[in-house]
Amino acid sequence: MFRIDRRLLANMDWLLAGVVILISAAGISTIFSATRPLFGGTQPDYYIKQIYWLIMGLGALTVVVSIDYKWFHRAANALYGGGLLLLVVVLVAGRVGMGAQRWLSIGPFNIQPSEFFKLVYLMALARFLSMDSESLDWRSLGKGFGALVLPPLLLVLVQPDLGTSIVLLLLFVGLALAKGIKKRVALLLAAILIVSVPFLGTLAWDNLKGYQKDRITAFINPEADSGGMGYHVRQSKVAVGSGGLFGKGYLKGTQGPFRFLPEKHTDFVFAVFAEERGFFGSMVLLFLYMTLLLRGLGAARLAKDDFARYLCLGIVYLFAIQLFVNMGMTMGLAPIVGLPLPFMSYGGSAMLTNCMAVGLLMGVRARRFELFF
Amino acid sequence: MENRRAAILSTAVMFGFLLVGIRLADLMLLDHDVLAAKARNQQQVMVDVAVNRGLILDRRGRALAMNVDAYSVYGRPFRVKNPGEVSAALSDATGRSYDKVLASMRSNRNFIWVKRKMETGSAERLKGLGLEGVGFIPESKRTYPKGRLASHLIGFVGVDNQPLEGVELRYNEDLRGEIKKVLVSKDAGGRTLSEGFDVQSRGNGLVLTIDEGLQYISEQALDRVIERWEAVSAIAIMMDPYNGEILAMASRPTYDLNDPGGYKTSSRRNRAITDPYEPGSTFKVVTAAAALEEAVVTPATEFDVSDGFIDVGSMRVYDSRRQDRILFTEVIKTSSNVGTIQVGSLIDNRTFHEYISKFGFGSRTGVDLPGEAPGIVRDYKRWSKTSHAAISIGYEVAVTPLQILRAYAAVANGGWLVTPHVVKEIVASDGTVLKQFNPGLGEHIISTHTANTLKDILISVTQEGGTAREAAVSGNLVAGKTGTTRLIDPDTGEYSHERYVSSFVGFVPADNPRFALVVVVFEPKKQYYGGRVAAPVFSDIASQALAYMNVPRDDFRNENVLLVRNDEF
Repeated sequence: MFRIDRRLLANMDWLLAGVVILISAAGISTIFSATRPLFGGTQPDYYIKQIYWLIMGLGALTVVVSIDYKWFHRAANALYGGGLLLLVVVLVAGRVGMGAQRWLSIGPFNIQPSEFFKLVYLMALARFLSMDSESLDWRSLGKGFGALVLPPLLLVLVQPDLGTSIVLLLLFVGLALAKGIKKRVALLLAAILIVSVPFLGTLAWDNLKGYQKDRITAFINPEADSGGMGYHVRQSKVAVGSGGLFGKGYLKGTQGPFRFLPEKHTDFVFAVFAEERGFFGSMVLLFLYMTLLLRGLGAARLAKDDFARYLCLGIVYLFAIQLFVNMGMTMGLAPIVGLPLPFMSYGGSAMLTNCMAVGLLMGVRARRFELFF
Repeated sequence: MENRRAAILSTAVMFGFLLVGIRLADLMLLDHDVLAAKARNQQQVMVDVAVNRGLILDRRGRALAMNVDAYSVYGRPFRVKNPGEVSAALSDATGRSYDKVLASMRSNRNFIWVKRKMETGSAERLKGLGLEGVGFIPESKRTYPKGRLASHLIGFVGVDNQPLEGVELRYNEDLRGEIKKVLVSKDAGGRTLSEGFDVQSRGNGLVLTIDEGLQYISEQALDRVIERWEAVSAIAIMMDPYNGEILAMASRPTYDLNDPGGYKTSSRRNRAITDPYEPGSTFKVVTAAAALEEAVVTPATEFDVSDGFIDVGSMRVYDSRRQDRILFTEVIKTSSNVGTIQVGSLIDNRTFHEYISKFGFGSRTGVDLPGEAPGIVRDYKRWSKTSHAAISIGYEVAVTPLQILRAYAAVANGGWLVTPHVVKEIVASDGTVLKQFNPGLGEHIISTHTANTLKDILISVTQEGGTAREAAVSGNLVAGKTGTTRLIDPDTGEYSHERYVSSFVGFVPADNPRFALVVVVFEPKKQYYGGRVAAPVFSDIASQALAYMNVPRDDFRNENVLLVRNDEF
């Protein structure tokens, strides 16, 4: 199962690895700046922890790269089952933090199983979609949704983790569209969706938690609620906007350290970055992210089989969803859904998961010339 | 995957980034000014910058109030990982109780003061421990190097340098300096994050008219009289009679300016200007001045006081000593109540009231200190049948020690009513004199002739046969007058037989006065006559002060220098 030879190394996507390290370094320096104390007081060790997470992430990436993805293909269902089990465990034995039961304590670490689950979920979806080459009809669509999407969706919603459940749903929709849905089915689904939006919307609204409703209200009309949830959006926009063309300079940003910006080193880390590095720096960062996504799509295009293709595509979707939702919320374009910015936001589980995802992309790309046995 | 689908997806990704880029440009370039202004508005605030307070110096430039560097220690409880350990260290260093510090460290507050204005040395040691969640802010702390000296006059400031008493309060605008407005950062909690402290600039300084040496002499004498007669309180004020400069102003009980909280508020009262009392015989000089000015008496006018008492309405007033027919001069010299009431009866109510007002009684002297009382002088239209007589011997009026001192200064300087003041100069921090206080002699209230006549009578008071021989000093003539009054018993509303006010007011050297001095002792035990209790204090202070000021002895000078002296009496 582990096998690295010279040809594998030669075909390795070093550019992708470099981009990941650059983005992570920008993330660590921004976390340092965002959490720096203003006077008196010591520097919190978030940035040190993030360095450790990055090192562990790169280790995990190496391990994942050295595993032939065909092993993941074979083990996909078992891994998916294990992941589902962890989601059950977290509900039973998990630690409650910030109003949701998302964390599992393993020794000194608190991990978020729902992060890791995204990967095995993608594997299971990729395996399912690669089983036959026909476009999806009613039966296969229903089967895939019922068997693979619904169970984790419910488990994550119960935590509750709205962000992750939206990600799970979007991944399925995105991959299904990529695979292709029979025209008749697609049209009917669209019609059903349009008709049922008001009904589903009301149902969903009634089942949202208070803070989730607040976030949506605040997104629709941020000025109406300047002290509450609208405050986050407003302060984030102020941070981004006050960056200007060249930014205030590293360690010169104020919105984060002055505690105007909430979640300054996690969900709103991009606002801190934009404030200090300006439009210029943000463009460089966006370019790095674009490279990441395009290289991911490249891996999907070069993939030798359908499983690898759908896996890579799913990973690109995963990064893109998180990236655009996070940036959108930072810039006041999307409601506040607690999705971290990949490689930038502080958080160990996300860092490990994202590194492993990149490992999968790199593994698929490196094995594009291999023969099937 | 066919290339068409890959191209679509790649285009979609790039389109997504384009949207993000456009939005970024919108926020960061187009809306930059508006959003940056929003950031500034919420992050910056104009604050008053603390500057060092100006110094307070005595007339010879000795510091009475100054500033030292200090540190204020604060805690951020949410940053403290080990409250027990941190609290123990803080409790050791600050002397605050461990339990209280611990309770505040365990509170859910964001910011707490542990100790304001801690002495630098121990603050540096505490800093050296590197306690987490504990911070230090440099501040300037007001200190009073002389502690209790002239405490009532100097006053003090609170922990935020807010003025609370004395010249610190009266001259706060000058002392605190120009308040500088500076833009400082503040965080979302509204707490300012810059130190906002400018050590370079300093408020204007005050040069007082007080002389530290004379003040010390006066306070020592008051301590002795309080101890000797177990008095409740005592006051001494020394003033230059020619320009109203207060040379010393002392009150007992007193307090330490460096620990004002450790004393009762009653100890912090500047009794020299806040506590009016009935002046008794010291007030007879006003009656005598009015009679002389109105020419209803001459020094040689005779009065029959042989009864030893006089009936005024239903009131019978006694003399302490039986005499026969005495001269006007002897009425004052012996402090005869019967004689003074007869003198007073020669002037009508309105004229008498006019003189009382001329001498400044019933209105504030205008001394540059907070809290001065005007005293009580009722309008003559509201006087009862006995009022005129009572007032002529110093009852039914209430005066402050400073008012009675100013009246005697008028006798000393030839009839001018000076404005007492305690600040001589306001000086900028670079030493430039910004303002000098020189109110001059003031209104001429009695003729120099009358003043000199009174002066000679007052000299006789401290001579053989006078009531205050104990006020005399060796080598110089003292002019003055005793006063002994009963206090009103608050329980009965009548004059007490146990609680007295004993006073002496005068000036020295009588012919060329260097200072006027009043001594008032409240509720002495065992002995209460002004001549026995207050007069010796006058002599005590005056003889030391004359030596301190190098005033030549009149008796030595007589041998070499021709003295011009009005010897009419």
